[in-house]
Amino acid sequence: MTYILRRLAFYLAAFFLAVTLNFFIPRVMPGDPSARIIASFQGRLNEAQVEAIRASYGASGSLWEQYIGYVAQVLRFDFGISTVQFPEPTSSLLFYGATWTLVLVGISIALAFVIGTMMGIHAAWNRGGFFDSLFTPLNVILNAFTPAVVALLLFYAFSLELKWFPLGRAHATGLAPALDLQFIGSVLYHATLPVLSILIVSFGGWHLGMRNVMINLLNEDFVILARAKGLSDRRVRYRYVARNAIMPQITSLALSVGFLLGGALVTEQVFNYPGLGKFTVTAIESRDYSFIQAQLLLLTMSVLVANLLSDIANVVLDPRLRKG
Amino acid sequence: MTGNKMKSIGRIALMSVGISALALGLPAFAQDGDVVLRLHVLDSDALVENFNPNNPTGPQQIVRDFVYEPLWIDNVWNPDEDYPALATSYEIAEDLMSITYKLREGVTWSDGEEFNADDVVFTFDYAKANQDYPMGIDVYMEETDTGSIVSVEKVDDYTVKFNLHEPDSLARYAIGGIYPLPEHIWADVEDPKNFANPDPVGTGPWTELANFSRSSVDFCRNETSRYNEENAIDCLRFLQLNGNEQIIASMSAGDVDWLGTGLTDPEITFKPQSEFNNYWLPPGGDVNLQINTTKPPFNNLEFRQAMSVAIDRDTIVDISTFGLTTHTRFPVGTGETYSTWFNEEALEPYTWLMRYDPDRAMELLDGAGFVDADGDGWRDNPDGTPIQFDINIPNGWTDWINTGQTISENLQDVGINASVRTMDQGAWNDQARTGDFDSYIMWTNGGPTPYNTYNPMFNPRNMEKGRVDYQAMHQMRLPEVEEALQAFRSTADRDEQMAHMNTIHTAIAENLPIIGLFANPTWYEYSTRNFQGWVTEENPFVRPTVHEGTRERVIHALALKPVSR
Repeated sequence: MTYILRRLAFYLAAFFLAVTLNFFIPRVMPGDPSARIIASFQGRLNEAQVEAIRASYGASGSLWEQYIGYVAQVLRFDFGISTVQFPEPTSSLLFYGATWTLVLVGISIALAFVIGTMMGIHAAWNRGGFFDSLFTPLNVILNAFTPAVVALLLFYAFSLELKWFPLGRAHATGLAPALDLQFIGSVLYHATLPVLSILIVSFGGWHLGMRNVMINLLNEDFVILARAKGLSDRRVRYRYVARNAIMPQITSLALSVGFLLGGALVTEQVFNYPGLGKFTVTAIESRDYSFIQAQLLLLTMSVLVANLLSDIANVVLDPRLRKG
Repeated sequence: MTGNKMKSIGRIALMSVGISALALGLPAFAQDGDVVLRLHVLDSDALVENFNPNNPTGPQQIVRDFVYEPLWIDNVWNPDEDYPALATSYEIAEDLMSITYKLREGVTWSDGEEFNADDVVFTFDYAKANQDYPMGIDVYMEETDTGSIVSVEKVDDYTVKFNLHEPDSLARYAIGGIYPLPEHIWADVEDPKNFANPDPVGTGPWTELANFSRSSVDFCRNETSRYNEENAIDCLRFLQLNGNEQIIASMSAGDVDWLGTGLTDPEITFKPQSEFNNYWLPPGGDVNLQINTTKPPFNNLEFRQAMSVAIDRDTIVDISTFGLTTHTRFPVGTGETYSTWFNEEALEPYTWLMRYDPDRAMELLDGAGFVDADGDGWRDNPDGTPIQFDINIPNGWTDWINTGQTISENLQDVGINASVRTMDQGAWNDQARTGDFDSYIMWTNGGPTPYNTYNPMFNPRNMEKGRVDYQAMHQMRLPEVEEALQAFRSTADRDEQMAHMNTIHTAIAENLPIIGLFANPTWYEYSTRNFQGWVTEENPFVRPTVHEGTRERVIHALALKPVSR
């Protein structure tokens, strides 16, 4: 129990540090949100108007006053108004972006984890076999690709040249979000290439991770014993080896899920996918303080929660930790 | 076992192909036979349910001209064929101190309320009361002694009189561009800048909001519009698109009809992509090098002249900007857009400043004492301090970055140590304002007369440290230009205006506060897949830009007819 309490204290401290950093990071960059708004008028404003706009959208008040105001907002879960997507409340944009990021990155992580891990199990079990000697090096190579290259290649080949897939967006234009076959079909169709572009570069990690741990376990006494008992191949492979090997995979999965809400910057950009990554890039370019702060906070919290959950899972699964 | 695993992977793959096929077979959007014009007026990550006509960060691009109408639609390309909108005629007072507009009778707002002089008076008073909500109305403010329009009087239900602070022959351009708001709606809006106007009420041809989603929004026919008889378009669809490649690809795929997007090498990257793809890029506003004349070496006229002749504008036009820009003839901030305002004879003695002549540049520099004093291979200031400066350009603005590279190479060829510095746009914006920089590549503002270009460029108010305007970054005060600008707007006589404009042009050529580079293209791409009647080089009835700031765009949209097939 003390272990959990210690971890909780650590998370609380990390949270407040993150809140503070989230405030200062955007403000260290030159420029403020009002600059973009004023620039968009291309000189058609008089002084009084410029001053009024700066007071409304620029960071008004001293840095300390702003900080106090910001912390108070965070405690109330009020994230203010986005200056880029004005006057949308930041929280509603965040929610919108997060929904699509969950679809895109969520599907990608789930598929990559399941398929990659299965590939790893298979490769390890049949070490040196055809599957292993083909897919292990292949996944190592693909894993070294950057998402930008894969996304652009897929976009060029299947969207621009072959025209099999749409040029971007999350669903067909003019289609109102609804839980019907048409809309879900459109969403999956639009997500196919972006998901694929993430999958191709992420199989490798899961594949290699699983394969390596499996191979180490194959020579353990309990595995040899299980085999000696005459248990079925399948039972030994999944119940004895894979089940033990999957622990580090789960920890990695927790981390991936934690970082999920960072969005897929490059993929979202290439496929004009309305996820958090894309919004974040624009927010940074335009010094949309509210959005940057809220997005960083969301990301921090999800990483912390994912870590906490994996800590708890470790305690539950590993009796040695319970004493500490 | 291998077989099993492969099978399950195969199943997943098959499943996703199946789902994709399902989506392919379904119609994207049923519109039951409506004629829909799809246009792209702003780059965004997601559309926002905000239809506030005076919010420049997006919504006004969608609702101005189409939902909200101005008083008058100037035809910048054909000034004699302009279009009255909510007003039907105007009269400028003899003393140029007021303008009286006759308003159109029988116009109703889309909710059925009548439009009349009260709405116009309300709009002005509202702008005056809400300074942080810039409605594009140049209200005169006593405290700061800035602005132009003092008051608006209701003469009768369909006549309004705008009173000016100073005699101003140009005020009609600004006043014509006012978008009146419906008093019965906006009178209750207390914080207009934060008002999202979710249910817009206007007088334009397309006022009915339909099918809002973050990826597209439709504005459909206003049943009360006076344009309905000629208007063949039922709905305008504004699309969320982002990134030039995506946008261009969307037109090629038939997803959008009207664009104003930057192109590179259009004969390769755009035209062949679809038989319906068309573009026309007439010369638009000038692009200049804004140099900080408050510090050496830029405070030296000969240095500025040397810079101007050291730059190889042919290379910039043909290669750096992909052949899409055009040359400007005189060392002034405006090009072909204002060709009728040039006194060619008077400007002839200055044409050498626009011709590439590196030898002359070196002569000028040697003569003015800019020689390599410390032997490091670069020229130094006459007092021996080294010269090294940056040309600031935002990240990703490819044509300008190429231009900057060419300029820096040209300058290095004559011994000037100049380099390109790219930065993110926020930083680029921010540094401009401080007045503390070396040089920027910069666009010019424009309008119906060259006054709109030169006033922001030479108004001393725009040169104050901390609030330096993009147009006045050179920060050189030229009293004769300031006076000529004042005189220009104080007369309505075209010959007198020509004389003042000539004073301005000559003074700029003489002093070279900025260095002209080229005229930007006006970006205009259109698809003949679904519509005909587009503006073309043969039939340039209005400026074809799709973006807000081109009041004529509604005339363009109304001229389009569906292609029958």
